[in-house]
Amino acid sequence: MFNDTVLKEIDDIRARYPERRSALLPSLYIAQKEFGHLSSEALLCVAKTLNLPEADVRGAASFYSMYRHKPLGRHLIQLCTNVSCMLLGSEKLADFISEKFRVEPGGTSADGRFSFVIMECIGACGTAPAMLVDTDFYDNLSEEGIVEILEKYK
Amino acid sequence: MEKILLKNTDTGNSADINEYVKAGGYRGLSKALGLQPGDIVDEVKKSGLRGRGGAGFPTGMKWSFAIADPKSPKYLVCNADEGEPGTFKDRPILEKNPHLLIEGMVISAYALGSERGYIYLRGEYPRAKEILDRAIDEAREKNFLGDNITGKGIKFDLTVYQGAGAYICGEETTLLESLEGKRGLPRNRPPFPVNTGAWGKPTIVNNVETLSNVPSIIERGGEAYSKIGSKFCPGPKLFSVSGRVEKPGVYELPMGTSLRDIIYAHAGGIKGGKKLKAVFPGGVSTPLLTADSIDCAMDFVSMPKAGSMLGSGAVIVMDESVCMVRVAYRTLKFFEHESCGKCVPCREGTEWLRKILERVEGGRGRNGDIELLSDVAENISGKTFCPLGDAAAGVVAGMLKNFRNEFEEHIKNA
Amino acid sequence: MITLTINEKEITLDKPVTVLEAARRAGIKVPTLCHHEALKPYGGCRLCVVEVEKMPRLQTACTLTVADGMVVTTESEAISKVRRGILEFLLINHPLDCPYCDKAGECELQDMVDKYGPTVGRFGEEKRKVPESHKDHILARNMERCIVCTRCVRMCGEVQGASAISIIGRGNRSRMEPFSSAAFDCEYCGNCLTVCPVGAILSRLYIHSFRPWQLDKEVETVCPYCGVGCSLVVQVRDDSIKRVVPRFDLGLNRGLLCSRGRFGYEYISSPERLKTPLVRKNGRLEESTWSEALSLVAEKLGQIKSRDGGTAIAGISSPRCCNEDNYVFQKFMRMTCGTNNIDTVSRTGFASAQKYFEDLLGQGITANMIDGLKNSDVILVLGGDPAAINPVLGLSIREAFRRGAKVLVVGNAKGLERYKTLQVMPEVFREADVLESLLIEIYGARGIRGEKPALDSGIRELSERGCERTGERDFDELRMTLLESVSISIVFGPDLVQRADGHRSLFAVSGLTYLLEARLYLLSEKPNEQGVIDAGCAPDMLPGGRPLSVQEFRRKFEQSWNGAIPSDDGMTLFEMIEGAANGKIKGMYIMGENPVFNLPNGSYIKEALKALDFLAVQDIFLTDTAEIADVVLPAKGWTEKTGTVTNLERRVQLQKKAVETMFGMEDWRIISEVSGRMGYEMNYKEAADVMEEMAKVSPLYRDLTYHEIGKGDCLWPYHGEPLRGEMKTVPEGAAMERDYTEDFYLSVERPLFHSGTLSGKSPALMKIYPEPALRIGTGTAEKGGLKDGDKVQFSTRTGSREAFVSIDDAIRDNRVYFSNNFRGRGALDLMTYNIDKVTKAAGIEGCEVKIKKL
Ligand SMILES: Cc1cc2nc3c(=O)[nH]c(=O)nc-3n(C[C@H](O)[C@H](O)[C@H](O)COP(=O)(O)O)c2cc1C
Ligand code: SF4
Ligand code: SF4
Ligand code: SF4
Ligand code: FES
Ligand code: FES
Repeated sequence: MFNDTVLKEIDDIRARYPERRSALLPSLYIAQKEFGHLSSEALLCVAKTLNLPEADVRGAASFYSMYRHKPLGRHLIQLCTNVSCMLLGSEKLADFISEKFRVEPGGTSADGRFSFVIMECIGACGTAPAMLVDTDFYDNLSEEGIVEILEKYK
Repeated sequence: MEKILLKNTDTGNSADINEYVKAGGYRGLSKALGLQPGDIVDEVKKSGLRGRGGAGFPTGMKWSFAIADPKSPKYLVCNADEGEPGTFKDRPILEKNPHLLIEGMVISAYALGSERGYIYLRGEYPRAKEILDRAIDEAREKNFLGDNITGKGIKFDLTVYQGAGAYICGEETTLLESLEGKRGLPRNRPPFPVNTGAWGKPTIVNNVETLSNVPSIIERGGEAYSKIGSKFCPGPKLFSVSGRVEKPGVYELPMGTSLRDIIYAHAGGIKGGKKLKAVFPGGVSTPLLTADSIDCAMDFVSMPKAGSMLGSGAVIVMDESVCMVRVAYRTLKFFEHESCGKCVPCREGTEWLRKILERVEGGRGRNGDIELLSDVAENISGKTFCPLGDAAAGVVAGMLKNFRNEFEEHIKNA
Repeated sequence: MITLTINEKEITLDKPVTVLEAARRAGIKVPTLCHHEALKPYGGCRLCVVEVEKMPRLQTACTLTVADGMVVTTESEAISKVRRGILEFLLINHPLDCPYCDKAGECELQDMVDKYGPTVGRFGEEKRKVPESHKDHILARNMERCIVCTRCVRMCGEVQGASAISIIGRGNRSRMEPFSSAAFDCEYCGNCLTVCPVGAILSRLYIHSFRPWQLDKEVETVCPYCGVGCSLVVQVRDDSIKRVVPRFDLGLNRGLLCSRGRFGYEYISSPERLKTPLVRKNGRLEESTWSEALSLVAEKLGQIKSRDGGTAIAGISSPRCCNEDNYVFQKFMRMTCGTNNIDTVSRTGFASAQKYFEDLLGQGITANMIDGLKNSDVILVLGGDPAAINPVLGLSIREAFRRGAKVLVVGNAKGLERYKTLQVMPEVFREADVLESLLIEIYGARGIRGEKPALDSGIRELSERGCERTGERDFDELRMTLLESVSISIVFGPDLVQRADGHRSLFAVSGLTYLLEARLYLLSEKPNEQGVIDAGCAPDMLPGGRPLSVQEFRRKFEQSWNGAIPSDDGMTLFEMIEGAANGKIKGMYIMGENPVFNLPNGSYIKEALKALDFLAVQDIFLTDTAEIADVVLPAKGWTEKTGTVTNLERRVQLQKKAVETMFGMEDWRIISEVSGRMGYEMNYKEAADVMEEMAKVSPLYRDLTYHEIGKGDCLWPYHGEPLRGEMKTVPEGAAMERDYTEDFYLSVERPLFHSGTLSGKSPALMKIYPEPALRIGTGTAEKGGLKDGDKVQFSTRTGSREAFVSIDDAIRDNRVYFSNNFRGRGALDLMTYNIDKVTKAAGIEGCEVKIKKL
């Protein structure tokens, strides 16, 4: 179960909406942070805390692509390859990342350092190609730039 | 044109409330709170403001529907889901001018008689979340939000709700489902959100940019505002320009600026002096325009006449070096990934289209693929639950109409 | 008035409905897949598209509301093309395995494809692959066949309210899954299965065993399990039940069933069924012939009657048997044996409560339509979990909650965890205090009603006497809510009757019902508890609820029955048991009941019955009670015979014969055979003959025929007025002076998946709930240092059991629950009882229990 601090946090969130179900998405983010990913246990905790049906919780969680359902590496690279980024070569960058850091899209590197996902547009098309590493934005990407950026993430 | 939406945003510290107030911020609010709510609605109607989220619905009219509904409470929801590929115009407001949005929301809430507002922010904008949260705290501290706004006994509070990665949640009824903590499937309409929105109550959903126009409408008056830009569709507009141009970025220009000017006069023309091939003028959900049809005024009224739509005003520019089959494939991959799965034509059709396109693009095209693509797109178009499916079919139809030869090439060389 | 045109046909409606519904009423069928009459409009499949004049795109008939002057076309070449396109989409990822799929023949997709014939073979890509899941014992899930119509999910969430399944994933990755993605671990109502249009959810009870067109017949009948009396359809092939399905246009349950009704039918074809009569010879039960067995019963009972008089004979009849059986049974006891010693095991619950309520509030007070629950503002739930005891009634409470009713729960009720507005937890076994306090306060606020003198003065006295209460949380809100509401329903379960001072709760609830003008619903665990009373199986009542003590009523029956009815009230259930133990009762006839297992302190009951000179048991299984009988008579069971039952709303319904069996006889026939041999002829050829007689002699059944009953709305009062007056005074009782300070107390679990020991003979229900667990709350777990799955030994003063612990948050007091459904492992045998002086029910509260971890 969540610790008291987390329960308090969720309680505060609940108070901002007329119905407790609205606290679901925010609570899933919290659970994701607490458990690393949305394991069955994490989902059960959320269901219990919000008194929502377990299946509903899982159903909602599985709909949104930013929730993680498998354990992740220490850092998450989210590279956009949607049209604007693609027009500026992001698909090649994807291959580059895969090769250089030995991590397939949708997978995690063997050393557990990086997980890598291909994103849809992240709203940085004006400075494409762009990616998010954890919650940090990087744009105007190039191969050298990526190597330099990812250096910072151990 | 004097900047209204992105005013002062290059100071580096523009998100700070003191900076904002120093530059004249929250003056619109002070003025508004001296007016009757009905007067505000009238000003907005007079201004001719149309929703900037894509559909261009007259904002004042939308508000009056919600006001006319006897149910209470009423909710004001800001659509900050900005998910349309190529669109990044709300982001500078959210990150650099958050108080403009907050001010707009407080005024709108006062007009609507709403005491509770939410900003549905896409999960992909974690920085904007931090900035907005801070700005809301600041505004609360300064009594621009809370139980007694500027000492006038008016109540309104705001919460940022983070989406979690679903393009469809930008569609307003889906957004409300998501706000209620559910899977993001669009709702049946009617009832419309203005009557039965969030938690069954009358709800206004407006785009970030739409709401951010409100302070200046009140400040300068609807009449004066309506003089900016196109006659039937006035106001400033943020255009996101991306792709193969020299100077991609967000441009605040008068509504009705021509597409050619946007590309050539403002965004510096095509990258490396290459030739323009095609443009999505308002995001990938709007019909493709070819190089010879960009002399159109970018506003909600003129674009349909030019065979496309203004959409979110996201201009994605493709030059002669771009393979349209590849663009089609990538776009359909996007739609397939983002289809919510509720309706059959979109759920199954986008998958089918993507699979064919993937083959054709990968050099495994077959005879008959083009006819099949066109037929499948036809079977989707107009039959889906929400516009997402239509948009997906539209991309394929547009590509086949304008660049059929590229598809034929691919198949011939397979 | 709305007038619109559909396919050139003009249709006038007084209320707006969907175009689909308007078309249906005009006899026009619009094809649908995601739509279901029991569910809200969805609009996902797009198959129901129609053209509407002045509307730009095609519209979905299932979501569009009609408007005046609308002009709709439902069939055209363009529409057909769209439908073909949709079906083609549905088929691209659908495995074309119809020849192998169990749904073939009743698959909505298959039918639709037949009709619109989409282009096939244009999809040259790889299909999505999802392995079939057989990880659940009951429900097979084939997600390749799933068309994501979400009917199952909406059914489970919006109607059943279990919310055990969801669509997982998005877009074309969408599939239906239970939380675990393997076993459903749900309420197993199977209602998802009913609404799945394709073969994506199938019951493993019939998978691969038959095809719909191979069935011999379908028979509409009523569920054998509980007092709701759900209608269902039994599908038969080669005289065996292949499947039970509900029908949405049938019965009060409107297409819904619970796990017992849907999956519990296999007991009837259990190999353990009794096949021949058994007679005890040299201490052992041996197979015998009908003529030997029947003659022996007649001879033994005849001997006792002539030697010790009729009052030395007693009979226990059964709420599992039909009205006809019970009517003949009481007539046999009264006329043939000469005794009024007739009772049922319902004395420990329904029958006591029913009589008490009717005595004070008037006959028919509990005759309320289950459907009406949905329209209540407030539902007060007392004495058990309606969603487990009477599941389909529970659904109406959930529905009411969804519609905005306030559901107020007193005590534990797991099935309403997500459907309650507030819950008041009385201190353990102190419910009567809470209810009396509530009554006093409501009386304080409302004052006297002045219509029923007995109640009025009883309430006044109670309020003068006062009642101590120990400050339960939310009590005030409970009171306020009740006082503020207009339309109140009270749902009363058996738990509160099983107290040595159970009459206190009964009085308080009578008072509340009266002052609040509430509708009273009495939960009923067996299918015919009401019918048994109406048929006259009570020591003090003749058929139709006529008091035996009124000579005029007796005389009427004596005339019809041609003989004398003993004039003194007979013994109640536990008096009979005492009588058996102390020798006053020498012979007993038990029809369809198992007191040794179903009454508390079974070992004592068993000894008492063993002391009888003669015991005849008539049943469909060799129960614990049958095992100690002198003669065992095999009866026919549900679907093997026709008869009527009366549900808790007092609706008389027909249980129809659906299969032929060579074994057993109808209960009424066995009894009339015995009766004839004892010299009192009963000349019934068919069950209908019994009904004909009942319709003549019992004012309750006046003019009822099977034909009339078959229509399904024979609700009380069929014709007449009340048949019995109200009591002039409230029966005197006394509060129990007892403290409940032990750590843990044993209570009987009433599980959703079992009912008596019958369900134990149903392999499916045994798979869902294979063995009893000791259910404890989180508080108990903490206090006892117990974890989920711990093996424990728990003991009471009379015995002990071993079981695994199961922790359940919904148990909020220090009671621990153990079921009484598993032979040899019942809870009741561990409990002793004290008789309530007023109701004569057995109080089993306060059974302290020690729990030891193994
Ligand atoms: C598939 C789809 C995605 C959409 N995404 C967005 C979005 O990201 N942001 C937005 O403001 N509106 C979006 N919309 C439009 C909204 O449904 C709605 O029209 C808008 O929020 C109304 O605000 P406005 O009147 O201020 O434009 C989307 C619509 C559709 C059909
Ligand atoms: S059987 Fe009933 S409870 Fe179980 S998943 Fe199906 S609908 Fe839900
Ligand atoms: S399992 Fe059946 S009812 Fe459920 S979504 Fe799939 S096809 Fe529809
Ligand atoms: S609610 Fe009762 S009658 Fe209905 S199916 Fe379940 S057990 Fe049978
Ligand atoms: S397309 Fe990559 S950020 Fe928008
Ligand atoms: S039946 Fe109308 S959309 Fe499915």
